[in-house]
This record gives sequence, C-alpha cells and structure tokens, in this order.
Amino acid sequence: MVREFELPDVGEGVAEGELLRWRVAPGDAVSEDQPVAEVETDKAVVDVPSPVDGVVEELRATEGEVVPVGDVIVVFRVDGETDSDGTEVTPPDDATSESGQQTDDEAAPQPAGDAQSDPAVTQSVQIPAPPSVRRLARELGVDISSIADSSPGRITESDVRAYASESSTQERSSHQTAAAKQREQQPAPAQSVSSAQMQETADRETTVAVPKTRHIAAEEGIDLNTVPTDERKDGEPFVTLETVREYAEAQKTDREAVTKREATDEPARPESRKPYNGIRQSIGSAMTSSKYTAPHVTHQDEVDVTALVDARSDLKQEAEEHDIRLTYLPFVMKACAAALQENPQVNVSLDEANEEIVEKQYYNIGVATATDDGLLVPVVEDVDTKGLLEVAAETYEKTQKARERSLSPEEMRGGTFTISNIGGIGGEYGTPIINQPESAILALGEIKKKPRVVESDGEETIEPRHVMTLSLSFDHRVLDGADAAQFTNAVQKYLRNPNLLLLE
Amino acid sequence: MVVGDVTTSTDVLVIGAGPGGYAAAIRAAQLDLDVTLVEKEAYGGACLNRGCIPSKALINGSKLASKAGNSEELGIYADPTVALDEMMDWKDGVVDQLTSGIEQLCTAAGVNLLQGTAEFAAENKIRIVHQGEGQGSESLKFERCIIATGSRPVAIPGFDFDDEYIVSSAGALSLETVPDELAIVGAGYIGMELATVYSRLGSDVTVIEMLEQALPSYERDIASVVRQRAENLGVDFHFGYTADSWAASGDKAVLTAVPADEAADDSDVEITAEKILVAVGRRPVTDTLSIDAAGVETNSQGFIPTDSRCRTNKEHIFAVGDVAGEPMLAHKGSKEGEVAAEVIAGEPAAVDYQALPAAVFTEPEIGTVGLTTTQAANEGITPVTGKFQFQASGRALTANRTDGFVRIVAAKETERVIGAQIVGPEASELIAEIAAMIEMGAKLQDIGSTVHTHPTLSESVMEAAQNARGKAIHKRN
Repeated sequence: MVREFELPDVGEGVAEGELLRWRVAPGDAVSEDQPVAEVETDKAVVDVPSPVDGVVEELRATEGEVVPVGDVIVVFRVDGETDSDGTEVTPPDDATSESGQQTDDEAAPQPAGDAQSDPAVTQSVQIPAPPSVRRLARELGVDISSIADSSPGRITESDVRAYASESSTQERSSHQTAAAKQREQQPAPAQSVSSAQMQETADRETTVAVPKTRHIAAEEGIDLNTVPTDERKDGEPFVTLETVREYAEAQKTDREAVTKREATDEPARPESRKPYNGIRQSIGSAMTSSKYTAPHVTHQDEVDVTALVDARSDLKQEAEEHDIRLTYLPFVMKACAAALQENPQVNVSLDEANEEIVEKQYYNIGVATATDDGLLVPVVEDVDTKGLLEVAAETYEKTQKARERSLSPEEMRGGTFTISNIGGIGGEYGTPIINQPESAILALGEIKKKPRVVESDGEETIEPRHVMTLSLSFDHRVLDGADAAQFTNAVQKYLRNPNLLLLE
Repeated sequence: MVVGDVTTSTDVLVIGAGPGGYAAAIRAAQLDLDVTLVEKEAYGGACLNRGCIPSKALINGSKLASKAGNSEELGIYADPTVALDEMMDWKDGVVDQLTSGIEQLCTAAGVNLLQGTAEFAAENKIRIVHQGEGQGSESLKFERCIIATGSRPVAIPGFDFDDEYIVSSAGALSLETVPDELAIVGAGYIGMELATVYSRLGSDVTVIEMLEQALPSYERDIASVVRQRAENLGVDFHFGYTADSWAASGDKAVLTAVPADEAADDSDVEITAEKILVAVGRRPVTDTLSIDAAGVETNSQGFIPTDSRCRTNKEHIFAVGDVAGEPMLAHKGSKEGEVAAEVIAGEPAAVDYQALPAAVFTEPEIGTVGLTTTQAANEGITPVTGKFQFQASGRALTANRTDGFVRIVAAKETERVIGAQIVGPEASELIAEIAAMIEMGAKLQDIGSTVHTHPTLSESVMEAAQNARGKAIHKRN
C-alpha cells in the first residue's frame, strides 16, 4: 500500500515552510514518529515526523524548496507485515567495543545513531572513498553511497563533482520545464494587471514570512511590508514565497513598462532586455572559464591559397554530383588534421587534477557554428582517416543540425581542435577563445584577393592572389610560440599546396 | 548564605571537559562561536585523570621494572625495587601537565571556563551549581548545547566502592603501595590492563570473569595470546564465576565467587586479597543532569541516542562521547565533539568514519580496526585474510617480544582492506596504518606495495597484506 504524505501544518497556521533537509532517503525504512524532514518556518526549524511505519518510496520535494502546507512531500510504502517492528537495527560492532566487561548482566548497549537514519552517512558498508572526498560529498549534497552503488572502484573527488553537476543539471532542467509550464498556463502577464498590482502596494509595519522568503525578497530588493497579502498568521500579515515572486515579477514588468515609456520620451537611449540564460549563458561561462584559466596567445599569419581556390573550383562540380556542397572548410579541416599529426604537441589537453598533459592520438575537429541562439561547436571525428568528401558531407550535415538545434550533446563532445570560420561573414584577423579542454583554436579570415609579390623563374612580379588569414590562439600553459608557429606553418603548407593532402 | 542565581548567556554550552567536550569547545571557538565549557571536576575528563593516561603511565612504569628484572636471557641481572608512591607522583605529574595543557588550550582558543555541576533548568537554560558550601549557583542561557558528560565505573551489588577494600579503576590507578594480593572482577580490557600492571609490580593477581574467556569481546585467538602471557606473569583466572559477596577479615578482604551457571556443580571460590578491583563496565553519566528538563531522551541504558551529526532528539542539543553510546573510546568522543561543533557552525560535518581503531594496552597489546572475518561474513562480504606472526619478524626478535600476530581482513572480491586485528608488540601503534588505509579505501596491494622500513614491526603489516594475496616473502603463503 502506498501512502502519500502531505506537509502538515507544522506550526499554528503556517502556510508554507522551507524544506531544509531530508533525514531519510528513498528505500529507507522509517517508523512512526521518526523525523523524516526538517522544515523551517517563519519561527523555527521543526522535524516532520513520519505518520506511519513503512519504507520511503519517493521524495517529492527537494532540499531548499519552499513547500505549501498540504502539498505531498513524501510517498511511503506501507507493508503491514514486514514493517511491524520499524527500522532494522544493525547489530553493535563488538570488535571495536571496549566496554566488553561481559560480567555485567546487561547486554552491550546498541550504538547511538541507529535511531535516525541519515542518507549522507552509511556506517554498515564501508565506502571506498577517503575522508576528504566523503566530506566533499556532504558539501555538495551528494549521497556518496549512490555513487558507490554505480561504480565499484575507489571514489574520487572528480567522481563526486561529476555526480553533483549531473544531478544539478537534471534538477535545473526539470525546474525550467516546470517554469515553462507555468508560463504557458498564465499566458498574459498583461501590463495593466501588473500596474494594478503596483497600485495595491501595501504599507505595513510588520510582516511574517519564512526565512527563505525573506532571503529572496532581499535578493530582489523588495521590502516585505510592501507586498500585498490577504493571508494572516497569528493575527499578523503573512507573505508566501510565491506572492513575493509574483510581486517581484510584476514590479519588474512595471519597471520595464516605465522604461519603455521613458524610451519614447527620450529616443536617445533605447535599450531592451532579454534573459541571459540557456545556450547564451553556457557559452558565457565556458568562455569566461577558458579565458581565465588558459593564458591565451594568438599567433597570426596569412597564406596564399590561390592553388586551393583552383582546386576547390575543379572539384566542386565533382562533389555536386555526389550531392555534396564543397566549401573551403573541409580542406582546412584536412590540412589541420595533417598538421596536428605532424605537431602532436598541439593536439593535447591539460589534466590539471592529475598534473598531466594528455596527448590525443585521434583528430576530432570541431567547427564553430553560428546559430540564432549562439555559438555551437559540432565535432567531426577522425578527420585524418576520412576522405575529403566524407568530411565535407559530415560537416555540412552537422552544422546544419546545429542551426536547426537538433544536434545531440554527443555530437558536440570529444573534439581535440576547433576551427572558427569567421571569414564566412567577413574579417581578417581575430583572437579566438580556446574551446576547452582543447589547447588551440584556429580562426579563418575571409579569402580575399590581394596584391602579392610572386616569384617565377627568378622574376618578381606583383599579382592579384587569393589570400586567407589564420589566427591561432593557443594555451600558453602547454604550448609555446614556436609550437604555434610550426603548426601554423604546416597548415599553410597544405593550404598553399592542397595536392599535398593527396599524400595524406 | 544563599546567592541568587545570575543568568548569563552563551551561544554554545559544552557540559564536560573530557576528550569529547574540550575538543568540541575548542573547535566551536575556532569557528568563532561564543563557547562556555562547564566541568565539575578536572579538565581532561576520565581519560586524562582516571583512565587512558594514568593507566598507560603505570603500564609503562611496571613494564620497565618487570623487563629489568626478567631479562636474564639477555645477560641482564637486576632486582629493581619499585617505590609505587614515587611512580604515582611521576604519573600525577604527567596527568597534571596534560590537564593544565587542556585548560591552556581552551583559554587560548577563547573558551569561557566554568567550574560546577550542570543541571538543565529548561530547554535553553542550565543551572550551574558550584562546589562547596555557600558557593551558590548561576544560570546560563544557551542557544546550543553539547552534552559530553562521559561515563563512570559501574558498581555491582554488595561491592560499593569504598577505596579501602573495594576500588574502581580510578582507585586502582592511585594506590600508594603495591597490594600483596589483588582480586579483579571482570576480565575486560580495564581488568586485564590493571592485572598486567599489578602482576608486574609483584601483586598476586586473581581475575574473576563470568564468561569463559578473557577479553570476551575480542576474538578467541587474540584474547588467548594475552591470557597466556598474563598466566606466565602469574595471574590466576576463574572463568565462569561471578563475584557474589565479600567480607573484611583484618586488613584483607575475602571475596566469595560463585559459578555463573547455577546448574554447574563447581564449588564456590574464596579469594583473600588486600584490594578488590571491580571493573565490569562503565555507565553513561546522564542521571545528574536533570536531563528531562531539557526534554532530551535517553535509552534504557541511560545513553543519549544521537544521529550521525551528533544531534539528540532536540534540534539544538547535541551529545558526544561515552554519553552518546558505545564504543566508549576517547578518540571517538573527540571526533564527535569536533563534528558537533562544526555542525553547530553550519558546516557539513558528520561522523562518518569507516572504521574505528581501538587498542588494549595489555601484554602484549591488542589493536583492532574495522571488521573481523565473522562480522564481514555477517555483512554479506566474503572475507579473505592474511596473517603474519611476530615470531618471523626480525624486529620483534631483537626486541625479545615475539608473541602474537597481525591479521588483515579484506573483501575477497575487491581485495579492499576492511579490517585488521593485531596482538603483539606495539599493536596500538601498528593499527594506525591500517585505519588510515581503510579510510582511504586501500586494497591489499596498496599496503603490500608500500615500502616499509626495515627492520621494524610495521613490516609485519606489509607481510600480512601480501600473505592475503599469497605473496608474502617471509612466510609460506
């Protein structure tokens, strides 16, 4: 039998509480009155006792969430037969018991701590993780025994971090979905409504609220006494987190409306705001992290690609017969793969945790692709072993998918080097930011006709030539200027004379 | 004169300045909390004043005397005279140095120290009664409280401690002369340690134990090494007997022991002794605290149940050390004290040790950590063990102490080290390596491949680990 348990009124007339901490985990046996959760109300931190003897089936709220009274927070499985005597108590460990004066007529007392189970600490089965890692798990709110279940070996700091970030991503995405649903349900946050709410701004002397609500209000810069509410508790006005959030939202909309009105009055300062989230935010944090961990140096040079332009126009027709649109990019990718093979020191990543430089013996080339939502980097694997047309076809397919947002995360992983083709839009040189954990990125400038000195049969003439610029940013922790120059020279060699790619 | 209560307040109140309490107080003060530590007797608690430290001092002293007088095979002939009162003075000096050190550490950390007996007046209020007529009392309000009141020796009916004939472990650690005869009730670790001390100092020691084994909570092969050695020192054992009654006869006591199993047709035993040491266990000190006034629950044995963060049923009250339950070990109390203080300061601390080492300072010593093979099997782990006898250790031979062995227990499937039992020289020190290895999740190979200094006893740990893998060099695997 399954029993749903709603957050009870933990104080007198409390409308909601912040779930501070779970004291049980799914699968735990609980007995009646055993505390299952700690909930913080406006007044105190209280233990919420289990109403039944049973087994925890599911936790419906997350730690830190503000839960209204009456919402289901936990689901118990109640089995009349097996759970009659409540929790299973492990026998005391008498090898470590020093009070072994068995002459005494009473049995050795049970170790304390069995009374309340704690998911963060499992004493009975030893966990193959050193104390510092176990502490980290608690800091990150990770139940280390669930990592132990999935990996039989020793648990490291990075396992715990990986697990923590994985679960927080899942959490975030589920939150986002929930928020999106809510938005759908309330399709019209019309300005007139929010203005009306604004007019209803309260002006009280005191307001009762749970600490989390106060915290959020402070973050949003809202004085709780100004938030309108009909709810009361102990005769005092009571404000819920939801009310504060709505109020904050309404105020924001209103401010924007005011800004817009002002904007029409003063056309000199138009601005608009849009959320900084999703891909934009991911790009932001990846770029920040890369720029601040890797000392970037950009090596720049140009290359005469007249032969490449000829080669491509020769092959274009042929490629089209295979339904492939041949651009310059596949040539550059092949050139880079060949140059990386000649300069393996560039095809590396830095494993800081283990203080090792990892040299990759495979050549997966990422192609930075501008999309409407921001930059995505699909990866073409094993470019060295694939033919030019194959690379062209795969690159086209993947960049297309990136633009359609149908690229899977796997298709963006595992790159060893990235090419950013800014030239497709225009421009000469750039200072690209490395796509970590890679150690170098090459930006291609536009292929332009420029006057160049050409030597032929000992005679120098100035001729219009096709010239492309190369900007190679590299991580100076693992690579030096000489490495970058050598690598760039190799790329230039293949681009200047694409026939060499035939030898690859 | 009645002095009216003056109420002051503190963030964190710690009751009891033993290893659990002072560690909690110092850590809490380090974490910038306002801490008050109340102690009714002496800083350092039972461990420093009446337990670990004084007993180890006497164990060392008596060992030295015994070694000096019993090393003829090394060509040493001596007949040392022991002035027990002087040895006690030296021991007291050691204790004083340590306890005053604790006081200084607390003061330096910014802990407020208060002398007196604490009694709860309410959930957030404590009354501190000062010793001595007319010294009065004061009240203290607190936000959080850590109970670290420890434990005291259990008396058995009819054998009240009088410090003349009947002594507790505390009394036995401060005798002024070596008793001609010493009867010890209880062959647990306290009884066995003190049996070793006094037999080495020349007492006729007789031990009465209800069960059929010395050190009943240890494995038989471990305990029998200690028992054998004790018998060689001249200790008499009466297993299967309980102390029934005693009577004074001149300056001696005559103790009557009866068979524990009434059905057995063994006859009663009478033992005449100058002192009777009752060492049958320790009980938590929760009865003097007016603990009900705080609403803190205790279990049927008087222990305060706590969770892994040392919290009692009351959110703001913590309990650490002996009072919070078995095993009653100073180092367990200290660890819990630190955890309680960190939890109060909002840190994600928890009592999460994988294995708790324990030592018995008998001759030879015992060191244990983690699981025995039986316990491993009970937990569904198939164990594999490796063993190394000190008889094969060069270092043990040169020290002329070759009793005992190292046994390492690992999970067969993963070869992860899960426990160890050592009986032998310096077992109390040797066990530390294995405790660290268990905490780090080490495998047998990790110990076996760690280079150990030659010639040391610690090589035996390496050999035992290798033996479990069939790869020991200095023994047949």
